[in-house]
Amino acid sequence: MRFVFFLLMMITVALGVGFGLSYYALTDGRLFGVAQVGPWHAWPDVGSNAPNPYTRGHLARTAAFELGQSEGLQFSATTDSDGEQLTRDCAYRITGKTPLATFWTLVAVDETGVNIAAPDGQPAMRSSSIARADDGSIVINVGTRLQPGNWLELDGEGPFKLLLTLYDTAVFSGFSSDASMPAIIRGECA
Amino acid sequence: MIRFLLWLLGGVVLGGIIHIIVILTLPALAEQSVWSRVASLEADNAMIILPRVTAGEPNPLGLDPELAYGLCRVDLSDGPAYVSGVLPDAFWSVALFNPSGIVTYSTTNRDGIGQTLELGIFNAAQTRLLAQQQLDIAEGLLVVESASDHLLILVRLAPPHQAMRTRFEQELSEVECGTRG
Repeated sequence: MRFVFFLLMMITVALGVGFGLSYYALTDGRLFGVAQVGPWHAWPDVGSNAPNPYTRGHLARTAAFELGQSEGLQFSATTDSDGEQLTRDCAYRITGKTPLATFWTLVAVDETGVNIAAPDGQPAMRSSSIARADDGSIVINVGTRLQPGNWLELDGEGPFKLLLTLYDTAVFSGFSSDASMPAIIRGECA
Repeated sequence: MIRFLLWLLGGVVLGGIIHIIVILTLPALAEQSVWSRVASLEADNAMIILPRVTAGEPNPLGLDPELAYGLCRVDLSDGPAYVSGVLPDAFWSVALFNPSGIVTYSTTNRDGIGQTLELGIFNAAQTRLLAQQQLDIAEGLLVVESASDHLLILVRLAPPHQAMRTRFEQELSEVECGTRG
């Protein structure tokens, strides 16, 4: 009887650890090859010609056209800088500096990757077409309700994800120690 | 108690093995890949423009709405592949994807090639032939050796403003791409 109990326990633990760890590695994955800067995450070797097995798993899950290593790198954020989930009930302010890059774009997508910008607005924010402070830092307002300055207008409700794509960037290439990413600060909520 | 801990340890070790198997087999088990997602497009030996990304529409390929994308599919068993054209004066980059969706080669126009995109893609045997013939490689031609015969060539072009997009897409679609048997 005890043998059966132990066997069942072992199988349960094995399945839980095996599949749980795999799911974690490919979603959050902070312990497995995902680089994290503040709220932003990236898979640094997603564009390499010999990615590690976890990155290969991530590639298989997304099945998207990833950027090659010399083309750039995409960061994603599902939480604000305080670790709270991003939701369209709230207004957000993205402020600070971005790493060195030829240009970058910022888009907001839902869980399925659909762009959630307002249909009559612009679908993305681009580094060359925003107003900046004197020191070159950025302030971008993101949300469904009217906001001043650079405003990425969103549509609908529910959680969302921000994608910051840096093109032709030196970040994580080993040639640049500059990995300063902007902060995502939560404003008023409905 | 010792026995319980031993069984628990056994479970954790077995879980680790399951984890490694899951991670290693996942790419092979995936039903969709970037390759299958573009299979229906008529991109064999021709540069086609991928549809624009608009708000509210599905975007399975993870494209950036600010960029124009040109896609071409080649099979090196038909002969070495070439990509040749002149692109507008803006940021562009090119990436080669193998059937697993891994970027095997990528470069940008910031690497000193300017507006001219001249790419020759060879598999291992063709590269050996090319070396034996000791041909002079034209200046500006990038020679790429590919481990796999099947390749997707993706050119990303960033129009500085959306007003220029149609003209940029037109110029991108005029890039020649194919194999020389």
